[in-house]
Amino acid sequence: MQGDSSHSSRAEPPSTAGGPASLASPDIGLIFDLAPVALLILTPGRRITRASSHLLAEWRVAAHSCVGQQLLSFVEKQLQPPRPDHLAHLTSAIDDAIAARAERTSRPINARHAVSWKARVVPVFNGDELLSVALEWHQGPPVHLEDELVQPGLSAHEAFQIFVQAVKDYAIFLLDTKGIVVTWNTGAELLKGYTRDDIVGKHFSVFYGQEDLDIKKPEMELEMCLRQGRVEDEGWRYRKDGSRFWANVTITAVYQNGVHVGFGKVTRDLTERKSAESRLIAAYEESERLKSDFLANMSHEIRTPMHGMLSACTLLLDTPLSPSQRDIVTIMDESGQVLLQVINDILDYSKLTSGSFTMHSDIVGITSIVTSVVRSAQAGLPPSVHFELFLSPDLPRSVQGDPLRYRQILQNIVSNAVKFTDKGTIRVCASVKEEDETSSTILTEVTDTGIGVPEHATSNLFMPFTQFDATTTKQYKGTGLGLSIAKSLAELMGGRIGYRPNPDRQGSVFWFTARFNKIKNMEQVKSTKEDDRVGWPLPDAHVESLVEELRMVSSTKSLLVVEDNLINQKVMLGMLRSIGFRNISLASNGIEAVRMVRGRPAAYDVVLMDVNMPIMDGHEATRHIRAGGILVPIVAMTAYALKGDRERCIEHGMNDYIAKPVNKQRLIMVLAKWLLRKTNYRKNFEERISELTRYEEVTAREMLGSDQPAKADADGAVPAVSGLGPGPVPVPPIKAAARAEEPGEAAGAVLPTALPAAEGPQKLMPQDDEVQQPHEEKADAPPSTPSLSGRASSDTRESASTTDASEVSEMGTEQPLVTVLPGSKGDATADVRELPQHPSPTGEHQILLLGGRDGEPQTGT
Amino acid sequence: MPGVDARDNQESDTMPDFGEHVDDAIFSQILEMDENETDREFSAPLVFGFFEQAKETFEDMQRAAEEHNLDKLSSLGHFLKGSSATLGFNKIRDSCQVIQQYGHKLNVDGTSEPDEAVCLKKIEEALKTVRVDTADLEKIMRKFFHQPE
Repeated sequence: MQGDSSHSSRAEPPSTAGGPASLASPDIGLIFDLAPVALLILTPGRRITRASSHLLAEWRVAAHSCVGQQLLSFVEKQLQPPRPDHLAHLTSAIDDAIAARAERTSRPINARHAVSWKARVVPVFNGDELLSVALEWHQGPPVHLEDELVQPGLSAHEAFQIFVQAVKDYAIFLLDTKGIVVTWNTGAELLKGYTRDDIVGKHFSVFYGQEDLDIKKPEMELEMCLRQGRVEDEGWRYRKDGSRFWANVTITAVYQNGVHVGFGKVTRDLTERKSAESRLIAAYEESERLKSDFLANMSHEIRTPMHGMLSACTLLLDTPLSPSQRDIVTIMDESGQVLLQVINDILDYSKLTSGSFTMHSDIVGITSIVTSVVRSAQAGLPPSVHFELFLSPDLPRSVQGDPLRYRQILQNIVSNAVKFTDKGTIRVCASVKEEDETSSTILTEVTDTGIGVPEHATSNLFMPFTQFDATTTKQYKGTGLGLSIAKSLAELMGGRIGYRPNPDRQGSVFWFTARFNKIKNMEQVKSTKEDDRVGWPLPDAHVESLVEELRMVSSTKSLLVVEDNLINQKVMLGMLRSIGFRNISLASNGIEAVRMVRGRPAAYDVVLMDVNMPIMDGHEATRHIRAGGILVPIVAMTAYALKGDRERCIEHGMNDYIAKPVNKQRLIMVLAKWLLRKTNYRKNFEERISELTRYEEVTAREMLGSDQPAKADADGAVPAVSGLGPGPVPVPPIKAAARAEEPGEAAGAVLPTALPAAEGPQKLMPQDDEVQQPHEEKADAPPSTPSLSGRASSDTRESASTTDASEVSEMGTEQPLVTVLPGSKGDATADVRELPQHPSPTGEHQILLLGGRDGEPQTGT
Repeated sequence: MPGVDARDNQESDTMPDFGEHVDDAIFSQILEMDENETDREFSAPLVFGFFEQAKETFEDMQRAAEEHNLDKLSSLGHFLKGSSATLGFNKIRDSCQVIQQYGHKLNVDGTSEPDEAVCLKKIEEALKTVRVDTADLEKIMRKFFHQPE
């Protein structure tokens, strides 16, 4: 090999031939070859022209793979590891030498076989002409790669050690394979408080807290590190003095020649960063809160004038308008309603996101809320859509929770169903999903046959500000907040919300659950804030002024007295008449009462119900009435005010309680409360609110002397919120006859208006337990009885009994709790306007309250 | 419609003292419902209707007692208790309460009285008392309403 190379090098024409010093007798080529130095001769173009045998031997290369090659490409192949910057060093050393016409030494470059070489570069000039470059290579130990650190007179290793030792911000140290600390730097000393002598030889787990030690975190970290090469952790670490700091720790497994020799550990103190982070988060939260407060504030500020505007719109719609004016006002009204809804949504959303949303704890009547929501939604339906209502019989009568929020969720889902369903059915089902000792989880499902939800949109349904038809022509209005609010509300109520496609056909099923507390005892009821169903004390109104107020509305109010004892009936009638009531119906037991009320769900303004009656008592009768979704105020009358009676009555769904024998003043107070101070139960919550607003307006206007009369309810009832201000409330004259003209109105024997004259001695019998018919008794009264008590009431009875008979078949008390409601709002409203005497054109469907029956068109459509 | 308030004073002035038989406050409420005090078109038929009712009920009670039908006795007691209370006829009401309680096999204080014979005996005593009281009250009322028998 050496021979080959020398031979081939000898074959080269000596490039130095013709020089002045060619006198030497031994062949200069041979001397070159045999010289014990590693030499390379380059052309000016840096191609290798000669290589000494020593070089070929040392570098273990063949002459042919060296001579004739470009220097850089040859050296590149020898580099181990390949380092382009080393080539650059070599090049610049050559350049320097040529430019300076003097020798230069390159930096060492690591070559194969764990050695490094540095080249003494000797340029050879002939005058100004570069003839050749000679490189004389000197071998050395391999150099450290971080040559940047290598200062003159300092090895890479030393530099690195100094560097690590000097670092103050990081604790950098080495552990042996068992986790014993073997090195320690200044950073570690500063950070952990241990000196080198303290810690070297100890196990690194001393830095960990007891909690971490208990779960064997140090050991786990080393294990994980061995498996994955490195491990990173954030957590508390402890100093020598026991204080702790929040640390970021990186452990790297260290290998030497493929053998695991220990771990490198770098620890950073993040306490500063962490506190900076928490300051940032606090600042962010503060700004969020300010934003939410602002939103809440602004929403409130916007809502107030909105209510005023909407009230004005409603009033305007009640005035004579040309068709085009009416169209415009209707647009204003509808747009206002939409805007109000948007504002309400945003307000709720901002409250929910800011966490300032509070749930109230009230008594919740699931059935009444569901029926009321359905009833109000039903008003906006086209006739092609029908509502079906399924109320599971095991639904608790009342539970404890937030009735408004439950209603809000249901309202949202139901109104979506209404919005997206053109024809078919909307079915609302409420049932008990789970029950334990203290709570009931109510599942409410709304199934529609509407447009459904495309599959790609289902995942985003409950995200805020999303509407799946966003890309289309935006056919459906809304903020896209409704379902997201509903979701948050359901979650606040310990429930969930979800969607699935209608399994039977096109359409959607939206469901939600909400957990309510069971009402264990009445103490609990008392301690909760009283809602509409529970009476609240009247303000200190003088009884006489209450009588005046009652008298003013008495002609528009219809009362039902349920009492089995004729004497008591008569006294009750006498009292009620003396207050001014004329429309008083009688029932002598619970069954009769249920038939009458369920047969005419909106007919009565108040039911006065004896509790202890034969056949069916007042509690059971009330339950049946409530089961029909009828919210008419029911006032219990019971003999002897036993402690707890009132609570028991309320638990059974009654609204209030009056002790027997009935004290007239107390009766006046109770009637005033339910007829004057409460909004009309026939309206749903929102309607009642807007009615309140509107009625205030009406009252104010009438007091200003406007000649525009307040519009009466179509069934002759004025809004039942009169008397909000002091003094008597002006009530417009009402057609008292309207009520009697309603089909089947005579049900329950409306009593004649005049006070009965003395009826003479009458056969007043305690009724037999099987059949109770006080009216029959009356019919037996001597024909000579003056006034209307004989003849007139028997006429009424006839119509009553026929109506009753037809209604009983339809409205038996044992009817299943399934009710089908036709969409009739549009027609009904139109008819109400044209034919005020027949407010109930769809009377045969009056199973639950329908839009038109409630009277006053609420929406102004 | 005559004012309720206008008559309040007159009634309380003119109403005689019925003693322990009658709760004045309650009974005056009934009298207030009369449009005028001479013919008492409302209260008179009511009161005498009550006596009719009471006598019928006593007969029913007598029969039920003979049949040892405690349930029926209790329900009749409750029934008459209701109307007597409404009119403020306290003595009658109290006896009816006794009948109702023993019909439920309960002492007046609400403790249990399992012996039916005891219950029946107590009921019969109460019935006797209430008949006497009712007769006494009827006399007083006939005088008050100027309605001789």
